[in-house]
Amino acid sequence: MCKKLVQMMQGKIWMSTNSQGYIQSTSLVLRFQIQQTFNRPMFDLTNFIDQPKSNSIFRGLQVILADDDGVNRMVTKKLLEKLGCQVTTVSSGFECLSSLGPTMSPFHVVILDLHMPEMDGFEVATRIRKFRSRNRPLIIALTASAEEQVWERCLQVGMNGVIRKPVLLRGLEIELRTVLQRAGERLSS
Amino acid sequence: MAAVSQLQRQFIEYTTSLYNEGYLDDQFTQLQKLQDESNPEFVVEVVSLFFEDSEKLLNNLATALQQKIVDYKQVDSHVHQFKGSSSSIGAQRVTNVCVHFRNYCEEKNLDGCLRCLQQVKHEYILVRNKLEALFRLEQQILQAGGSIPMME
Repeated sequence: MCKKLVQMMQGKIWMSTNSQGYIQSTSLVLRFQIQQTFNRPMFDLTNFIDQPKSNSIFRGLQVILADDDGVNRMVTKKLLEKLGCQVTTVSSGFECLSSLGPTMSPFHVVILDLHMPEMDGFEVATRIRKFRSRNRPLIIALTASAEEQVWERCLQVGMNGVIRKPVLLRGLEIELRTVLQRAGERLSS
Repeated sequence: MAAVSQLQRQFIEYTTSLYNEGYLDDQFTQLQKLQDESNPEFVVEVVSLFFEDSEKLLNNLATALQQKIVDYKQVDSHVHQFKGSSSSIGAQRVTNVCVHFRNYCEEKNLDGCLRCLQQVKHEYILVRNKLEALFRLEQQILQAGGSIPMME
């Protein structure tokens, strides 16, 4: 009966006997399909958190960057790649939301320019927080503003960090690291 | 044909003067540091894109300020973009004019805006010429078989 079941599963089953004819062991081979993990749960981020002070912390970090200015996009993307991130760029809030999608979120971090025409960074963040109840990408704002109210508003809409423009490598690195560590602390609490 | 070391000295002197005179700032240094073997043309690519975008922005600004009823929000939006892109690549003098330009937009001061437009155009053309000269110097050094000195 076992043999029949296994054969239906397209596997193999056999018994091996020792020299005296007694059954020594049973072997079973079954084939399984590897499932695609569509939803990367938050705990994936732990890979990035407890690293010593090196840029390996960012290796493989999936980032989506939304900025309507071509020059800024090019520079910020290169800075992120220098830190080891894998970067996808979009030029509008709409594109950003469709790339995140309602069910799939391969991105760990969303970096948003606050000042985009049609849909600004605040709106994008608000919508991300509304839809993405299971997977919460970390959201970091990019802004030239140093005003307290702007930064407070970022936190209010559910963002995790703010980076001042023009972007410097060190500033980007520090904020990314801080945001990731805070996320890790939340997980372990 | 000038010797490599002479060209390199010229390059260092020229670059230093650009920083001292405020045409370029640390953001430009950062751009150069981002250039590597995987992307050996990075600086030229970014700066070329900046030139393209800037020329479009300047045209848009001129058009916007020529309207019978000027939409200052629109003008400010263009200036904001110009400020952002110029500061990303380190074109400091252009960025500084943009700051003043935005103030005039807020005040809805047409005269101030028109003056700033002239000024920003002037600064843009200056930095564009200087960067083009810098890139030409780089090409000369490379063609003579030398390497570009790293500025600190």
